[in-house]
Amino acid sequence: MQQQLSKPAPVQVVVADDDAFQRAYTAAILRKLGYETREAADGLEALELVRALKARILVCDLDMPGLDGHELARRVRAEFTDYYVHILMVTGQEQNRERERALEAGVDDFMRKPLDTITLKARIRTTDRLMRHEILLAERSRVLEEAKERIEEDLRAAADAQMRMLPPPRLKVADCLFHSAFKPSNFLSGDMFAFYELSPGYIGFYAIDVAGHGVHASLMSVALGHLVTAGMMRENAFTDGRPDPARLVAQLNRRFFRDDGTEYFTMFCGILEAETEQLHYCQAGYPSPLMMSRSGAAREVGDGGFPVALLDSAEFESQVTRFGAEDILVMFSDGATEAENREGLAFGESRVEAVAASAAVMPSTIPGRIVEALTEWRAGRLLDDDLTVLVCERKHVS
Amino acid sequence: MIRMTEETNEGICVVSPGTERLTAANASMFKEEMLALVDDGKDRLVIDFSDVTFLDSSGLGALVGLLKRVGNRGDIVVCTLADNVQQMFRITRMNKVFASYADAASAVRALKERV
Repeated sequence: MQQQLSKPAPVQVVVADDDAFQRAYTAAILRKLGYETREAADGLEALELVRALKARILVCDLDMPGLDGHELARRVRAEFTDYYVHILMVTGQEQNRERERALEAGVDDFMRKPLDTITLKARIRTTDRLMRHEILLAERSRVLEEAKERIEEDLRAAADAQMRMLPPPRLKVADCLFHSAFKPSNFLSGDMFAFYELSPGYIGFYAIDVAGHGVHASLMSVALGHLVTAGMMRENAFTDGRPDPARLVAQLNRRFFRDDGTEYFTMFCGILEAETEQLHYCQAGYPSPLMMSRSGAAREVGDGGFPVALLDSAEFESQVTRFGAEDILVMFSDGATEAENREGLAFGESRVEAVAASAAVMPSTIPGRIVEALTEWRAGRLLDDDLTVLVCERKHVS
Repeated sequence: MIRMTEETNEGICVVSPGTERLTAANASMFKEEMLALVDDGKDRLVIDFSDVTFLDSSGLGALVGLLKRVGNRGDIVVCTLADNVQQMFRITRMNKVFASYADAASAVRALKERV
């Protein structure tokens, strides 16, 4: 890392004193110590030099015509906020009260007249050390800032790739219409969902929420997205030709369970059988979706189930509920219910239901309305957890 | 972060997570501190959730991780779950995995009866 840092520029010191002899004397000592010096006969000239040279060390007299030492220090502090200018002030023997004022104005240290080589040498060395340290820190923070930008650029690219894996926000599958909203809490999401026609009359879908969030959770959610495809579902979510989503879930549980692991996910996996108007589902720790009529009357689907990959002994059941032609199924990750307002109050199931119900006449608006309600609830603060809203509307009449 | 609030003659320890929110931010620290207790031979544990208002999926993962580690050689039960925590236990069926009691006293009583 040290080698990436550029060498500090030669140190320039501005010496301000209205007394030409004093000025030349101070400058001569500084040059002997290896500094480049520029001289100013008054405060205003000194300020201009500091500005023009981007000088970081200023040695100035207290009493100067026009802009005196106090005012010069105040202006320097006000103007140069990007980097620090060290101000050493030269004062007379009897100017203790003046020193207090000078400290308030922003002067760093004092030297008494008559100035001697030893004092100046000691003070300037200290200042020099501080300055070099500041330059080093500034350089390091610049390197870190650049690294952060590169990482964020990578994350944005990864987030784009993740978004491209998802179905579009509105997609017709056979005679069903799916509407969705997907909001990662920070670039990448641990949520995943998909839906597809498995065979004529059978529509399969799932929503997954990997525990935790961020890069770690997103790696698993993307892996799951690639794994659970229509083909995989066709092969694994039926038993003797009948829909059996729990079979697929149990398989994922076997595949992802690790004795020493802490990674797991919750899932809702459903297969709609159009002819019988039945939804076969397996709820694996995912929040209970809402089965809603167009009038907004709702019931919860499922009363829970083990998450996936948390316990090797977990058993999963396929259950059945009616999914009528006019019904809407509203699925949402716990990012919706657990979102807290400024007072720490969670948004909760009942508010999700109320918002969904108010939009039930136009199911396509439900995801957007829930996102809006949550944005308002959070009052501008970002979501703490990833959010997914997935709405399935049957028998869409376009 | 964790605080032991009681230790009985039978070696049953009541432990408070020492946080109002057991989440991704502190779940692994909680788990490590609990595991240190377990490694210290304290494996009959009542985790008292009276002060916990929020538990997220990572917090739940830590609890289960702890349970996996203790296995058959000890007991881990929970008590005083807030409504939303109880709801989460229900939806994830953790109510079938962790015995849950109304308060620390009844949890300790129940553990004393287990031998």
